[in-house]
Amino acid sequence: MAEGDARADRYPLADALPLDLADLDPGMNVLVSGPPMSGKRQLVFDLLAPEGVPADPIVVMTTDDPASRIRTGFEDRGLRFDPATFRVVDATGAPGDSEPAVHRVSSPADLTGMGVAFTQATEEMGTPDRLRLGFVSISTLLQYVDAERAFSFLHVLSRRTSAAGYLGVYSIDPTTHEDRFVNVVTSIFDAAVEIRDQDGDRELRVRGISGVAPEWTPFPY
Amino acid sequence: MTEREGGTVLIVDDDREVVRTYRRYLDETYTIREAYDGEEALDELDELDDDVDVVLLDRLMPGPSGGEVLDRIRDRGYDVRVAMVTAVDPDFDIVDMGFDDYVTKPTTRDELRRTVEGLLELDQHAIDVRKYHSLLVKAAALRDGKSTYELDENRAYTDLESRISDLEAALDDEAEQLIDDSRFVATLRAIDTAATREDADG
Repeated sequence: MAEGDARADRYPLADALPLDLADLDPGMNVLVSGPPMSGKRQLVFDLLAPEGVPADPIVVMTTDDPASRIRTGFEDRGLRFDPATFRVVDATGAPGDSEPAVHRVSSPADLTGMGVAFTQATEEMGTPDRLRLGFVSISTLLQYVDAERAFSFLHVLSRRTSAAGYLGVYSIDPTTHEDRFVNVVTSIFDAAVEIRDQDGDRELRVRGISGVAPEWTPFPY
Repeated sequence: MTEREGGTVLIVDDDREVVRTYRRYLDETYTIREAYDGEEALDELDELDDDVDVVLLDRLMPGPSGGEVLDRIRDRGYDVRVAMVTAVDPDFDIVDMGFDDYVTKPTTRDELRRTVEGLLELDQHAIDVRKYHSLLVKAAALRDGKSTYELDENRAYTDLESRISDLEAALDDEAEQLIDDSRFVATLRAIDTAATREDADG
């Protein structure tokens, strides 16, 4: 594929990250990691729907925030909750009315069910060429399935979206898992955005993207 | 009973001629079990437990239909891949129904063999991802507290690294197939139903 064509397929980030990084390659999978209350959910949403950029079709898979909260989060950003372009796979098990934009799965332990819901969501959106998938969060998933199964699921899901040229953005709270698990799961991803809190000042660094130094950068609230 | 290396296939059809034909297509590679209705199929699965790898399930049979048998297979959590065998092209979503693949009658030897092979690849994919995970865990453990120099000199670690990159390449080769919705879901199901093995590394 010619360089110019490839450019058009990329996923613009606008100012989602305080870095000199305009866009991401199609098929990339990014891990956003940070302690509780570090704003990682917000950052996931920013990467899915950067401000000032024409919105791509979005699917958010959630194991912790029910669909209603995801919806509010995006409506607050001025995004229309239109089932043609925005869908939630809600695996929290939370009850809710049937609505076209929400695909409910009984529990995060139902990995097949989450996969089925994802295929239904994309199919009903007309199998778009571009799509941003958000997954919140790996930490909650691990409360329901063992590390091996969680890893396998994330591997298959991320390779699926990669093959389709989609962008995947997943969140994890590294403080709730052993370092070793976090290291192992990180290897599924092409790039990792880490958030940390240094005496009340929030910082961020990106690893795995060529041309971007993995240096801590202030990331104010 | 002689066990074939290829795995065990349970053929379920009320038409004995069909069962015989499929057996002939498959039995040089796979161990074959037969059932002539849904109840018998479930009894076979019960008896053989996790020794059946693939079920070829006729959709329309006297007694419980293929769909009903499938539901019970999934409810009982058997780690088995199931292809529906149907006289007409399914006009419904096999993903929604929980089948991993389907075959239209009459089928050819090649087509049937390809279907069984494809279903066994799903299990292999699940095993490979698991193995990949366990190797990464081992590598992470070896890395703990060691310098890069020490690791480069460490035979076990460099072996591990090369096995990891081989598996990674194999898995990435298969990724393209995941575009297919039923393939993607069937792969996840193979992960879901697999019994957790203590040592996936063998």
